[in-house]
Amino acid sequence: MTTVAVIGAGVVGQRVARQLAASGLVKRLILGSRRPQRLHGFARQLIDIDIEVISPGPLPPADVTVLAQPTGGHAELAEEALGNGSHIVSVSDSVKDAQGLLDLDTAAVKADRSVIIGAAFSPGMSCLLARHAGSRFDRVEEVHVARMGTGGPACQRQLHRARTKESIDWRDGGWRKRPGGTGRELVWFPDPLGARDCYSAALPDALLLSSNFPDANRITSKVAGTRRDRLTAWLPMLRAPHSDGGPGALRIEIRGVRDGIQTTDVIGAIDYPSAAAAAVAAIGAEWSILGTLPAGSWSLGMLDDPVPWLQELEERGVTAAVYEGISTN
Amino acid sequence: MAEVVVGVLRRAILAIGVGTLVAAILRLRGSGGVPPRQGSWRQLSGPDFR
Repeated sequence: MTTVAVIGAGVVGQRVARQLAASGLVKRLILGSRRPQRLHGFARQLIDIDIEVISPGPLPPADVTVLAQPTGGHAELAEEALGNGSHIVSVSDSVKDAQGLLDLDTAAVKADRSVIIGAAFSPGMSCLLARHAGSRFDRVEEVHVARMGTGGPACQRQLHRARTKESIDWRDGGWRKRPGGTGRELVWFPDPLGARDCYSAALPDALLLSSNFPDANRITSKVAGTRRDRLTAWLPMLRAPHSDGGPGALRIEIRGVRDGIQTTDVIGAIDYPSAAAAAVAAIGAEWSILGTLPAGSWSLGMLDDPVPWLQELEERGVTAAVYEGISTN
Repeated sequence: MAEVVVGVLRRAILAIGVGTLVAAILRLRGSGGVPPRQGSWRQLSGPDFR
């Protein structure tokens, strides 16, 4: 009997649970929540599957554990889940969580389990798109990731914190830290969202992409923000976050050499970040069940072939777009 | 007075020259070409992933 534990039943967690329940691969679904009483109505909506709702505590034994709770402590929970013999899918977009999960590689290989880091919109789909676009170059020199929008309230709180923390960019063979909220850049996201000012923040995309772009001089990640976002980033959140911070978008710019010519490609996506994140995480969980994923601790930017993931996302209605344009000078 | 003017001019020319040289070096070191500035977004589908 295949059991999946979804720890954290917020906007993303519930969407993951729905997709897993509909996949036909899962017989038993365990939902972990700080407020289990709120989930009884949701659990009744999931049919043809055994549902158990649990409170915070020791992780239950499961074939796959999806960590969809707010950021912080994902590495510790993943280590505990590895001890239970579980594959792990983490949706965290915290740099600290990503670093902690990367450190679990040896343990994951030894346990013959996969630990998927940042299986969300950004990181996650952003890494897939960067990897896909980068594979068309002979040499990738620069990767620039920009995103706008958030998932649920926990994602918005994390972004609020990230705006004031140091960003980590890859620059000429080393990591360079920059203050959050600096480096303003006007980024053109896919229509109809259009142009937004983007700033540096503590985002893990560069960390998760660097290993597959060894020749890159620069790998950066930025997030869209308004003047009010920058001004109030240093304060506690002044109002309750929205129930869903979408629609959102991704824009990945790859610069490098193709056929001996300096080339720039731009690829992106527009969707509700919570929906895209849930689709990525659900695919990771389903393919872990099927045993088609490599053992170890890795992000989607470290995959040799991102195409099956992008095809599956397209099947689920999460599509990417490429910018086809010309340089004017 | 003339010497002062010539000195200022000489320094200004030197500053412009150094600035031009630095800009030229930065320009030459720049990589990636010019990003696309006119165009539109096209949705990726099956054939793009083959």
